[in-house]
Amino acid sequence: MLVFRRSRRAVGFVMRAARCAVLPALTCVSVAHAGPASASDPILQTEENDIATLPAIGPHVVFIEDPVYRHAKDGRVLIVDADQGRLLGMVQAAYNANFVAERATGAIHVAETTWAHGNRGKRYDLLAGYDPKALTVTTDIELPGRALVTPKKPNMALSANDSRIYIGDMSPTNGVHVLEAKTGKLLGTIDTPGCALVYPWGGTGFSSVCADGSLVNVDSADVAKPAVTHTPSFFAPDRDPVFEHSPEVAADGHVPFISFSGLVYDAALGGTPTIAAPWSIEQAAGMKPASDSRAPFEVTWRPGGWQLAALHRADNTLYVLMHKGTFWTHKDSGTEIWVFDLHAHKLLRRLHLARPSAMVGVTQDSKPLLFTTDDDGDLFIADAQTGQVKRTMKHLGDSLVFTVAGGE
Amino acid sequence: MSSLSLFDRLGEKLVRNLAEFSSRRSVLGTVGAAMAAPAFPVLPVARAAEANAAPVPSTQTLTDFERKAQSTDPTKCDYWRHCAIDGLLCGCCGGGIHTCPPGAEPSPVSWIGTCRNPDDGRSYVIAYRDCCGRTTCQTSADCHCNTSDHEMPIYRPQASNDIIWCFGTQTAVYHCSTAAIIGQAG
Repeated sequence: MLVFRRSRRAVGFVMRAARCAVLPALTCVSVAHAGPASASDPILQTEENDIATLPAIGPHVVFIEDPVYRHAKDGRVLIVDADQGRLLGMVQAAYNANFVAERATGAIHVAETTWAHGNRGKRYDLLAGYDPKALTVTTDIELPGRALVTPKKPNMALSANDSRIYIGDMSPTNGVHVLEAKTGKLLGTIDTPGCALVYPWGGTGFSSVCADGSLVNVDSADVAKPAVTHTPSFFAPDRDPVFEHSPEVAADGHVPFISFSGLVYDAALGGTPTIAAPWSIEQAAGMKPASDSRAPFEVTWRPGGWQLAALHRADNTLYVLMHKGTFWTHKDSGTEIWVFDLHAHKLLRRLHLARPSAMVGVTQDSKPLLFTTDDDGDLFIADAQTGQVKRTMKHLGDSLVFTVAGGE
Repeated sequence: MSSLSLFDRLGEKLVRNLAEFSSRRSVLGTVGAAMAAPAFPVLPVARAAEANAAPVPSTQTLTDFERKAQSTDPTKCDYWRHCAIDGLLCGCCGGGIHTCPPGAEPSPVSWIGTCRNPDDGRSYVIAYRDCCGRTTCQTSADCHCNTSDHEMPIYRPQASNDIIWCFGTQTAVYHCSTAAIIGQAG
């Protein structure tokens, strides 16, 4: 290596000499001033290459999915220290991947898809598990399939006790693959005909939303003989569907399902879920409820975006991206975040966004941080109480679509 | 059993063998794939074909997209047929409004949208068929669209534009999206 360094130095000398021959005098003067080292200059020490490890995954470390849509096989999960606004590392998350992060350790598991010859050949649907410190691959198994859908957080889920991974499939029939998180072992696949998405509850349960506005509830303790129940329809999909990215607390199966018009159906998932009567977030903000698809042309404040809402479990506060528009603007970015008390159905504050965002995330600690993005892939890290941006990470990715905060 | 005909006994044996060696999932998958095999989605076409000269909707009840829609440049997101599209326009990638670029393969199934043509004021059923087998088309940002008139979550897959609709193609790699008229909306 030393010989190599000397060789490079020699090349540098030749290059400088060549520049002096062709560039104006000033350039040569400045180079001349740099001059040869004097005997009193300290000699820089030699170095060995090493590999960084991740710090313990605290509440202000956030995992962010970037599908890199235009180079989808190059998607990744970014790991960010939100206190410093610093990228800590990343892992591959190819072709509309999904991921979960273990709440206890921060170990991440990525469900992704590749093809043997790039864009052709044998298709591989994979589940890769990563060591939470070294970020090395610990498990790498082939899945029987998975849904290829623009990444939505609830297409994959982790049980409340971090023991089971659920992966939604749609190839072409709907089902959920159940795997052991520690080993990646496939325990089985459970059919969920007419239903999609995975909202976990308890150690072995999950619910999916069905085409008729009901839930199917599956206890997969015995994967070969799952206990399956159905709720009655609690919303009318044709009139006012609920968002896929309705946020969830897996520990208690709490999901406030948010409809396109802004109705919140507070659900406690389980074998027999309880679903409260809906309340309107516009009404909670002192306005009249927004219209549904039967009167789609009313321009008013509505929820919208991709990961359009976040839930702070301890405070029981709901953060919702809001914009002004007609009914079918459910993917429009939010220009404000409205913060609600989920118990009191009361608007606590409205936070204006300098840049419209399709994503909002929140950390779960007592001094929560708020995450938003923009069309340039910037990450804005703000105080969740005031909305004041504390740090901006310019062009962190191509498309930042959802977040999982440490311990979430 | 002895009273059953030979045909009945053969039929029973076939069904029992099927049940023994096939999971419900694989049967559904096979049936589903077979149903997806026709070149065009059947139900929307049938429904659309049944609708004769549907009434022209009032311009006072237009969605945000419909108010701004144009009918002259199909390589722009605000072209009227793109009311519920999500993805890259094939017309910007060497293909056209209903044409895959060279080497790409059209998906036999699609999601559908209902879009209003500003020229005649009528609504049409649009099949958004993905073209597959090449990596995502890299082109102008003007050609990367995500509109959502009547677009639904994936638990209503037939109206969801977030699903990679490259089912039944040689590879499920997404390249770009087309927007073919398959009938007038009722």
